[in-house]
Amino acid sequence: MNYFQLFGLDSGFEVDTLKLSELYQALQKSVHPDRFAHASTQEQAMAVQKSAMINDAYQILKNPLQRAEYLLKIRGTEMPSEQSSFRDTGFLMQQMELRELIAEVKFSDDPESAYSDAEQTLNSQYQQLFDQLKQQLAQDNSESDTLACDNLRKLKFYQKLHLELDRLEEQIFED
Amino acid sequence: MAYSEKVIDHYENPRNVGSMDKSDPQVATGMVGAPACGDVMKLQLKISDSGIIEDAKFKTYGCGSAIASSSLVTEWVKGKSVDEAAEIKNTAIAEELALPPVKIHCSILAEDAIKAALEDYRSKHGE
Repeated sequence: MNYFQLFGLDSGFEVDTLKLSELYQALQKSVHPDRFAHASTQEQAMAVQKSAMINDAYQILKNPLQRAEYLLKIRGTEMPSEQSSFRDTGFLMQQMELRELIAEVKFSDDPESAYSDAEQTLNSQYQQLFDQLKQQLAQDNSESDTLACDNLRKLKFYQKLHLELDRLEEQIFED
Repeated sequence: MAYSEKVIDHYENPRNVGSMDKSDPQVATGMVGAPACGDVMKLQLKISDSGIIEDAKFKTYGCGSAIASSSLVTEWVKGKSVDEAAEIKNTAIAEELALPPVKIHCSILAEDAIKAALEDYRSKHGE
């Protein structure tokens, strides 16, 4: 049983997160230790195991990028190893420019507006890739899944940029 | 996590940071990235007509180990022939910097940056 089936959902990228959290609560309730107080040791152990699985599934499904990666995996498209490096020169040049943009915010005459400009640039590029990912995953064939995989790797770079931006925000707005 | 002395030295005094004109026919550029940690590494080599690496520059956004790995590589490749540079292995980089297992991917990234730059060199020279 995969994580989508565990939650009684169709295996797809689009998930109603509110519904997901309600399903999570209901599932956890069904395996709560209180309900197994008088059950056998074996049944108790199984409930604990199931509870852990429900928890793992929820953590993956509620996060869009992890959900996409999991979906690709159950469709048979494994992501390249974390160790394998990414070689799209055009994309990496753009990443370097974004890093430079973020690094320069602090030295700008008006850091606060430079910060929000950088944030906007980052968000709009992220959104564009995210929308593409959504379309690619909806097509559900091996060709589009391969493209989705590539896109997902690009989106991971933006996760790191968002962390850098958060760190910068603390520095600029601390006083 | 504790960095080795060599990593700290390269991190605090990085060698050969900078950029070269990537449209210069003698300049080969290698760009690589690691999605898992978001590191981006640019390695540029100035290669003479006889195939000797005369100069090397790098720019890396990433952790201390990634910066140290690329800084070390710029020192190592200078004066080497293209073929000799292609022989540099990530294991040698990791060993020199005493990288812990979780940082081995930084040395892999640096090796891949050399490969990417040499590919750019070959494509620029129609090989």
